Amino acid sequence: MDLVSTPVRLPADWRDFYALTKPRVMTLVIFTGLCGMLAAPGAIHPVLGFAAILCIAVGAGGAAALNQWWEADIDAGMKRTAKRPLPSGRMERESARDFGFALAGGAVVTMGLAIGWLAAAILAISIFYYAWVYTVWLKPRTPQNIVIGGGAGAFPPLIGWVAVTGHITWMPVVLFLIIFFWTPPHFWALALFVQTDYAKVGIPMLPVVAGERVTRHQILLYTLLLVPLSLVPWAFAGTGAIYGVVAAALGLVFLALALRVGLRHSVPNDTMKPEKQLFAYSVLYLFALFAALVLDRFV
Amino acid sequence: MGQDPDQNPDKRDFDLAAFRARQKARNRALGLLLGALVVLFFAITVVKLGVQADKRHGSSLLYDSAQHG
Repeated sequence: MDLVSTPVRLPADWRDFYALTKPRVMTLVIFTGLCGMLAAPGAIHPVLGFAAILCIAVGAGGAAALNQWWEADIDAGMKRTAKRPLPSGRMERESARDFGFALAGGAVVTMGLAIGWLAAAILAISIFYYAWVYTVWLKPRTPQNIVIGGGAGAFPPLIGWVAVTGHITWMPVVLFLIIFFWTPPHFWALALFVQTDYAKVGIPMLPVVAGERVTRHQILLYTLLLVPLSLVPWAFAGTGAIYGVVAAALGLVFLALALRVGLRHSVPNDTMKPEKQLFAYSVLYLFALFAALVLDRFV
Repeated sequence: MGQDPDQNPDKRDFDLAAFRARQKARNRALGLLLGALVVLFFAITVVKLGVQADKRHGSSLLYDSAQHG
C-alpha cells in the first residue's frame, strides 16, 4: 500500500489505549484489591501479590475498554465522555474491542497460572459482570442499572482476599457488600449533576426516569444501609477499635452529606454543590475505610 | 475531496513524519510492555518453583518422620 497516495489515518497513540483503561477508576480498583489482600489472614509472596494486583488492574482495564467499545455512540453524545479516544475519532472501534479482549483474557489466564483458578474465576466473573451484565444488558434497560451493576466494582477486595487465602469466607463478602451499597449513593450523586447528559443519550438513569426527588430518597436509603454495614467487620469479625472508630466517624459524615442531598430540592440554575460534595466525599470515604481496615490489621 | 499529498510536499512530509512518529512510539511502548511481561513471568516462575520445592521438601520431611517414628 502506498501511504503517500492514499488517505493516511494515524494509528492510535499508546496514550489513547491507556485512556481506554479508565486509569482514574482503576486507582480505586487497585486500592480496594490491595486492601482486601492486606487485610486477609495469612501472607502472600510479594511477587505473587504484585502479580495478583496487576491482574486485577489489567482485568478492570480490559473491562473498561470493552465498555467504551460498546458505548462509543453513547459517549459521543455526552459532554463528559465525548473526548474519549473512540467518540473523538482517535481510535478505531475494532482496536478498542481487541485491546479489551486481550487485556481481559491475559489477566484471567495469568491470575489462574500465578495465583489460582478460584481468584481467576472471580476475576473473569467481574469482567463479564461489568462488560456485559452492566454495560450491554442493564445500563440501557433499567434505572436500577447502578444498583445491580455496582457489583462489578465490588469484586476487587474479594479477589485480593481469595488470592491470599485461596477460599471465600464471609468477611470478604462483607467487603464486597460495602462497595455494593456504596455505589448507588456515589453514582447517583454524580448522575444528579450530569443528568441532562444522560437524558440526551437515552440512558435510563434514575434521575432521568424516576425524577430527582426519588433519586435523592434512594441516595439516603442506600446510605442508611451502608453505614451500619460498614460497622459489621468491627461488630462481628473482630477488627479492632481503629477500624470501628474510623468507620463510625466516616459513616456519620457520609450520612450528614447524604441527608443534605436527600432532603433538598434543586432550583433553576442550581450549582448542585451538596451533590458534588457528596460525590467527592464518597470517593474519599471508600479510600479511608479500606485504609483503616488495613491499618487495623497491622497496628 | 482532499488534496493529493503528492502535489503538496509539506503535507506529505508532515503526514508521514507524524505516522512514523506514532508508529515508533507505539512500538516502543509495546516493546517495554513485552519486556516487563517477560521479567514478570520469569519472577513468578522462580517464586512458584521455590514454593513448590518448599512444599515437596516439607512433605518429604513429614514422610521421613512418619517412616522412622
